[in-house]
Amino acid sequence: MSVPSAAAVPGERLRRRGGRAVGKRERPPAGSSRTAGYFFVALYVALLLLLGIAPVVYAIYLAFSNSGGAGSAFVDAFNDYRFVPAFEHILEFMAIWLVSQTIFVVGLTLMLHNQAQRVGAGFRFIFYIPGALAGAASVVVWLFMLDPTASPFAFGLHWLGYAEFNNTIAPGNLPAIFAIMAFWTGAGAWIVVMYGALNNIPHELIECAQMDGANAFKTAIFIKLPLIRKWVVYMLVLSFAAGTQLFVEPTVLGSAALGVGVSKFWSPNQLAWFLASQYDEFNEAAAISIVLLALGLVVAGLLVWRGRLFEVE
Amino acid sequence: MAIVTFDEATRTYPNGDRPAVDQLTLEVRDGEFLVLVGPSGCGKTTTLRMLAGLENVDEGEIFIDGKSVVNLAPRDRDIAMVFQNYALYPHMSVAQNMGFALRMAKVPKSEIEERVGAAAKILDIEEYLERKPRQLSGGQRQRVAMGRAIVRQPRVFLMDEPLSNLDAKLRVATRAEIAALQRNLGVTTLYVTHDQVEAMTMGDRVAVMKDGVLQQCDTPQTLYDEPANVFVAGFIGSPSMNLLEGTIEDGGVRLGTTTVLAAGGLPVPAGAAVTVGLRPESLAIAPAGGGIPARVSMVEELGSEAFVHAKLADGVSPAVPGEDTIVARFEPRTAPAPGELIHLRAKDGAMMLFDAPSGERIVVGS
Amino acid sequence: MALSRRHAMNFIAIMILLFFTAFFFVPIIWLFLAPTKTDGQLLTESPFAFGSLSTLAHTFHRIVTYSDYSVLIWLKNSAIYSFGGTALAILAAIPAGYALALTHFIGRRLLLAITLVVMIMPATALVLPLFLEINKLGLYGTIWALILPFGFFPFGVYLTYIYFSATIPKDLLAAARIDGAGEWRVFWHIALPLARPIVALVGFFAFVASWNNFFLPFVMTYDSSQYPIQIGLQQLIGSTASFNPANYSAGSSIVVLHRPDLAMAVIIAIAPVLLVFLFAQRSLVTGMLAGATKE
Repeated sequence: MSVPSAAAVPGERLRRRGGRAVGKRERPPAGSSRTAGYFFVALYVALLLLLGIAPVVYAIYLAFSNSGGAGSAFVDAFNDYRFVPAFEHILEFMAIWLVSQTIFVVGLTLMLHNQAQRVGAGFRFIFYIPGALAGAASVVVWLFMLDPTASPFAFGLHWLGYAEFNNTIAPGNLPAIFAIMAFWTGAGAWIVVMYGALNNIPHELIECAQMDGANAFKTAIFIKLPLIRKWVVYMLVLSFAAGTQLFVEPTVLGSAALGVGVSKFWSPNQLAWFLASQYDEFNEAAAISIVLLALGLVVAGLLVWRGRLFEVE
Repeated sequence: MAIVTFDEATRTYPNGDRPAVDQLTLEVRDGEFLVLVGPSGCGKTTTLRMLAGLENVDEGEIFIDGKSVVNLAPRDRDIAMVFQNYALYPHMSVAQNMGFALRMAKVPKSEIEERVGAAAKILDIEEYLERKPRQLSGGQRQRVAMGRAIVRQPRVFLMDEPLSNLDAKLRVATRAEIAALQRNLGVTTLYVTHDQVEAMTMGDRVAVMKDGVLQQCDTPQTLYDEPANVFVAGFIGSPSMNLLEGTIEDGGVRLGTTTVLAAGGLPVPAGAAVTVGLRPESLAIAPAGGGIPARVSMVEELGSEAFVHAKLADGVSPAVPGEDTIVARFEPRTAPAPGELIHLRAKDGAMMLFDAPSGERIVVGS
Repeated sequence: MALSRRHAMNFIAIMILLFFTAFFFVPIIWLFLAPTKTDGQLLTESPFAFGSLSTLAHTFHRIVTYSDYSVLIWLKNSAIYSFGGTALAILAAIPAGYALALTHFIGRRLLLAITLVVMIMPATALVLPLFLEINKLGLYGTIWALILPFGFFPFGVYLTYIYFSATIPKDLLAAARIDGAGEWRVFWHIALPLARPIVALVGFFAFVASWNNFFLPFVMTYDSSQYPIQIGLQQLIGSTASFNPANYSAGSSIVVLHRPDLAMAVIIAIAPVLLVFLFAQRSLVTGMLAGATKE
């Protein structure tokens, strides 16, 4: 049976290939709308220049204008005996954190999505509450949680072989500990976002998958997961950037003198601040900041480019 | 190849005050194309979804080939559905979309390819197999949705208003294709639409529903010629049937100040209130004297025919208060002019009578 | 899948969900119960035991009066920095997001792209150069050193942009403009009345981010009288016996803090944010979803 090609039927509009909006040159219409736009963004642009662009420019300037010549600040920083360990620490922390956050956030959200609406809402609320304790407060709470003498998780800590607090926060455990803190505070918000993304999937698709013979698990793997890929990438991008810049947790944990393993330069950001505040080595500090910034940007750029994340209209 | 039987199937939504589907009893014969039609909220989509397994059956039963399916999950019922918005998986290619159900059923890859290819050939979408849905036009997507259903070789096809998202011309073309396709494949099909023209042109039989209740299930011609009640009479046919208020009197019906004689015996006592149904295509100018008076308000010249809208005069009342316009079909360029007072009569035997309170049609003896 | 297997999978799912519920929630419960117990009780009794109200009152008194009511001073500072920063953020972000979404000007897309990029970079890498810049501007030690950076909130701009793009039909604005309304009037009379949810959302995020921020105040303040409560918390750890035993020798007259006191301080520190979370939860989630679900 031959069927007239749909393209030949008048009134049919073929979608553009790839689905992307082809960029048009922005030609603003004549009239006051053009200048008004500038006024609306004026305050924000002022702040952007002052507090977003200027510091970056200044940091770049500082990093490259060391007394030993351009680039010498970087060399000095790399050669600092604390530099490599700091980056080792941070990379280990991020590996643990990013992997576990992705698995658990996605997994928990999928599980919640399967439950009834009210049940899911209740769980999401509970998961979200720790987000109110971001920063120093969450570290203090976990100081308590990690102390085998007073913690409600004491049985778990004892089972892991930790009888005393300074066992728990032994240097080797620090990346995992910071990962737990970061996960505890941040997972809730991401679960809410992922849940919203899952809800955005037309219900018809899920029903169709049901009729196609997919059970809950297969529907999650083959249909739901691929359709929230964009948000998972977004989560990875933001988390990666934030993770490279770790500062609060090691600093606050280090205030507990028992935290001897948590030096004042455990993370690269701490090292940068340490160099600046203790030794006035602003150039080296700026160099480290630039390295961190670049790292975050490169990974973000990669993920955004590969994931086609942002389509600016 | 299957027989579908609804046996007093009922579904009430938790916050609903009346059942969405009320004790539906209906049989879809083997290989039949049955259309479920009715206004929004009549329960046709709910009925379809009950058969699919996407809605619970609160009371009653549904059988496929004599076996109850009420407790079976959708995938165990061997049914394929074409959704209104096509429900194509956006991240998969056309071929992957079509093969997904087979993949879930662990059919070997070579067989999947073969079956997908065959279905794509029937629907003429072979060149799109590697494209993603967003690269396709509406009509192409619709065909992929159908292909996805065909590939599964199910016992029953379900279609939920598959043409409603297409533009008018494409709808007409695709209508014929779907009907022909179904005839070729011979699969029992249950098709839902709100468009009565679609229903009349595609269905072997048409089931009209209103407010969750089945009104009538018959061939299109029977629905047209012998509607069971006022609702079916007014729903089927376009422009819809004119409905007037009348009273039985002296072997005829009195409409306002006019009396129309009935051809045969009326099994209704004098004085009974009736609704008189007159299809636009059955009306013509009455010969001198007699006929229903009306003043022409508007004439629609469509080229092949003309429809005259006229306001009822002389105390002739419509069945529905406020809708006092009578529509009559005329040959092109023969219509009376706006403002004219005309008298209309129905061709012999074309007048239908319905019991006013219940809406049931009164069968006029010959 | 057989019914029993499906039940088993569901059971496992529920167990996992309960495990995580405990993980997320038990610390919070412990935190709120801790100030009702004495330090000794914390060690000996069940973590879920309720102490006594009088202990709670004592703990509260001790921590609030500690070091000349430092906690209250820190709270005041936090409030100034956070409310100031939030006000500035809203003032800047709402019109900017509106303009990006619904007006035309050269550079609009460039600005949007820059905003997206800056959003991805958390501010911490810039704190140091920011510090030097603020210093050069002579603002070090003033509240502006914190309020200005808190007011720079590209995420708020992005959220507003998404919100206005999704909720205000362009035709509505076109109609208003054809009717002769100037741009300011269009914004004031059409967009703003519809903007309440997004103002609340941006305000919420800005406030929480400002209140919880640690690194920036750490760098920008030098005296205890300027600390926000977050830095204050860190100071309190130094005075807490169980975490810094070496600091206190027997017979010392310094007031020493114990775990319940520190827990009380944490509760005070997070109270505003927690309250906002709880009360605004419903509209927040809807607002977040509105932003999160735009395609």
